[in-house]
Amino acid sequence: MKVLLVSLYHPELVRGGAQVIAHELFHGLRATPGVEATLLASADQTTPALFKSGARITGFDGRPGEYIFLSRDYDHRWSKTRDVLLVEAFQEFLELMRPDVVHFHHFLTFGIDLLTLTRRVLPAAKIIFTAHEFLTICAAQGHMVRLTDGSLCGRASPLRCHQCLPGDPPEHFFMREMWMKLHLAAVDRFTVPSRFMIEPFVAWGLAREKFVHVTNAVQKRPARPDIAHAGPRNRFGFFGQLIDAKGVHVLFEAVSLLRQSGFTDFTVEINGDNIQFATPERRAGIEAFLAAEAALPPGERNVIFNGSYHPDQLPARMARIDWCVVPSVWWEIFCLVISEAWANGRPVIASAAGGPAERVSHGVDGLLFELADARALAETMRRAATEPELWQRLAAGITPPAGRAAMVEGFLRVYETAHAPARLAAE
Amino acid sequence: MSEAGGTAPAPGATPAGGEFSEDIYLRLNPDVRLAVGAGKFRSGREHYERYGRAEGRPAVLPATLPRDRLLMTGNDALARDTGKAPACALDMIRVSRSGAIFLTGWVNDALDPIDCLELYVSTWCYAFDKQSLARVRRPDTEAALANSGRHNYGFWGFTFTARRLQAGVCSVVVRLKSGLELSLLLNAEPIEDHEMRKLALSHLSRAEYFGNPYFEAVASIEHAIGAQLVDFNKMLSRRAVNEPYVERFGQTLPHYRGSIIVCLYGKVEYMFLQQALFAKQHGIEDYEFIYVSNSAYIAEPLLKEARLCAQIYGLDMTLVILNANAGFGAANNLAAAYANSDRLIIMNPDVFPHGPDWAARHTALLDTLPPARTDLFGAPLYYDDGSLMHGGMYFALDTMPSFASGRKAETSILRVEHYGKGAPPEATGFTTARPVPAVTGAFISTSRAWFERLGGFTTDYVFGHYEDADLCLKSIEAGRPPWLHDIKLWHLEGKGSARRPQHEGGSAVNRWLFTKNWAEMVAQDLLGPHPSRPGLAAP
Repeated sequence: MKVLLVSLYHPELVRGGAQVIAHELFHGLRATPGVEATLLASADQTTPALFKSGARITGFDGRPGEYIFLSRDYDHRWSKTRDVLLVEAFQEFLELMRPDVVHFHHFLTFGIDLLTLTRRVLPAAKIIFTAHEFLTICAAQGHMVRLTDGSLCGRASPLRCHQCLPGDPPEHFFMREMWMKLHLAAVDRFTVPSRFMIEPFVAWGLAREKFVHVTNAVQKRPARPDIAHAGPRNRFGFFGQLIDAKGVHVLFEAVSLLRQSGFTDFTVEINGDNIQFATPERRAGIEAFLAAEAALPPGERNVIFNGSYHPDQLPARMARIDWCVVPSVWWEIFCLVISEAWANGRPVIASAAGGPAERVSHGVDGLLFELADARALAETMRRAATEPELWQRLAAGITPPAGRAAMVEGFLRVYETAHAPARLAAE
Repeated sequence: MSEAGGTAPAPGATPAGGEFSEDIYLRLNPDVRLAVGAGKFRSGREHYERYGRAEGRPAVLPATLPRDRLLMTGNDALARDTGKAPACALDMIRVSRSGAIFLTGWVNDALDPIDCLELYVSTWCYAFDKQSLARVRRPDTEAALANSGRHNYGFWGFTFTARRLQAGVCSVVVRLKSGLELSLLLNAEPIEDHEMRKLALSHLSRAEYFGNPYFEAVASIEHAIGAQLVDFNKMLSRRAVNEPYVERFGQTLPHYRGSIIVCLYGKVEYMFLQQALFAKQHGIEDYEFIYVSNSAYIAEPLLKEARLCAQIYGLDMTLVILNANAGFGAANNLAAAYANSDRLIIMNPDVFPHGPDWAARHTALLDTLPPARTDLFGAPLYYDDGSLMHGGMYFALDTMPSFASGRKAETSILRVEHYGKGAPPEATGFTTARPVPAVTGAFISTSRAWFERLGGFTTDYVFGHYEDADLCLKSIEAGRPPWLHDIKLWHLEGKGSARRPQHEGGSAVNRWLFTKNWAEMVAQDLLGPHPSRPGLAAP
């Protein structure tokens, strides 16, 4: 079976969950007998050195089966490229590789219309689309968070989308929906890493029978043994991008509330980057908080900023904390950080929405708090830091996360059972 | 002669040594310059000999004028004469290469109305009659004159001479009914023809009135400006459709069941959106598309998108790119010439199929209905919110009295209304197949032979508006009312093009023109949602 994985970015060029999963899957499939996997990952002007004159698709660092799609002239409004030669190059690549399965892990930087082109070029191929957020439904970065009031959005409509993005009239969103759906019609199977995602897509009009849940997973790394810790379990850690949706500001607010209440016997370690993608207001708030914290005498600091990290550094960073905090203020589709925390034996304190709410069992393997409620988070942190034996009980309740093999097996099952329309007709 | 220590010769002095300078005399006496320009005198010298000397006109100047000092050159009697002229100013005079003239200004003629306005340039002159000038409000003049009365101080004029005119220094004479005149000197600036159209139409749309602007704008142009704008616009349309760029994408079959003609204005995205959505239609392989772009500046992205569409969607398409905006009628007429079928489907770029079998249903209509019902027909169109946008059209007549000039005058304007606009989708009365007074140009399916017999779209309208109703009225006049057949489409009305002030001005011209052409026929038996004309059915 020949499988082509189409990935938004390469994880070694631009960090992000979707590309990590595509890359992990690629390696997992390469190790599977009878499967010939190819990865086509996009690059854009964030890595200008990769753009070779006149080239549209190139190899990647001499690695077998890995290719780079040199995206350009991308129209974010309609999620398509305007570059004719780039689309021709994609078509040539399909004709050259002739995969049995084309698995899109995203369409950003490629174009949603390449789904239709793929169906036209390879009528018998199985086309799989993995949704890593709700970008097909929601033009506001696919987060399905109301920009009007920050609440979670349960239903897109031309008027509601216009309210979030008033620069475009309702008709634009009506067209956008038709545009997205007509290209998604080329897909044989949709996969989602969390089950809760299926309902919004079905409510939006996609066929329920086309959806399959396949968990995200990464290759397991050996965890550091938990050094005997006699004191209170009062060390919290945040791992992820410092962008609005990840909610680090909620954590900072909770820290302030705890201090105001006189509770200061705790630490919070911040691990992450990509603050340049935060909104200017949020970025300014985060930077101001961290600067004020750094200005305190070391003994008075509660928050420590460790900066970016490579996945290989995760066990060491996890070993320095007791609890992993996931304060996301959107649906948070899967949250690989939860898997990482569990792989390292750390219970999770997470917003009660989306993937975390589906994965974390409150009081069994972690704690949930009301989304975006800093006071609720502060109370949860105080409880976590002070309640005797709570950490031990929840750490013992952790079920080790699925490994990469389980994810690969899940996708292989999808590839085998998805029936392309042309084959159905032939049968 | 004059002022503190001035060294200039005394006014009226005979030029020293009998030398007379034509240039100096005309410079010192601008009214004489105008009179000479108007042919009343052969030269300044003639005027001087016949009148100027006796009037004590100034004729000499020192070689160098003293700086920063006032120099009196005329006598008080002459000054009193010019003092009687009313306040007046011209804001601009523009002359286009092809001979259009546009001017704006204001005059305090509340008591002594303007009679005409004359322009004198070195190689031509032109007089605007008072009726040919549109009168508008000028709040700035009202404030400056501290006048709270309802008088239109502003005026503007437009004419198309169809002659190459030279720009340059222009002497302007404003004549009032009493015989008083006022002379001004202004530069008539050159302007490119399309900019001239934009300027005049934008001015029309932005003008202010004491009454309802919808009626007042039409009333202001009905005597002369309207017809002049139409002539000028037609010239530009003819030029715009001359030598278009044409490229074919996909195959060219010897014959199609229909040619879908889409006129694009400025927005590229609607081409690929339509192509993507129509590509999913059953039976669409029997149709070709002809896109005609009225916006030359989008040529490059349009060609790119056409190539992408051919690659991704594979529909057969001809792309026609005009060098300028020819307007809806001329562009569609031209596109029809590239059709490889005997069925023309005129479609707006923001119209999309409603359901997967639209093309097949359209074909079935052609196969099963008699020509009288399919020679020209429209379809129900729906808004994005699901409500009805169009279920055929009918005509109404609006009349408004105006007392601006102190006496009653009426302005009547034909209005086109859509049956069932905003009705819920289940209100099927509006969508049942029936003959109607008119259908919208957002979607018209017509046999090519019938379209040609009607002379295609009338190209008199500016940019686009009313050509659809005009075509339908021509069809009724020729004996076949348009029909409405229930093959639904989406219509994101007005989203396929960007509307600018010149388009609003064009609409005002079109309202006037459509009313002028059709009000009489409509008034007979086509007025209202239930017209009495035999052969038409109301919902």
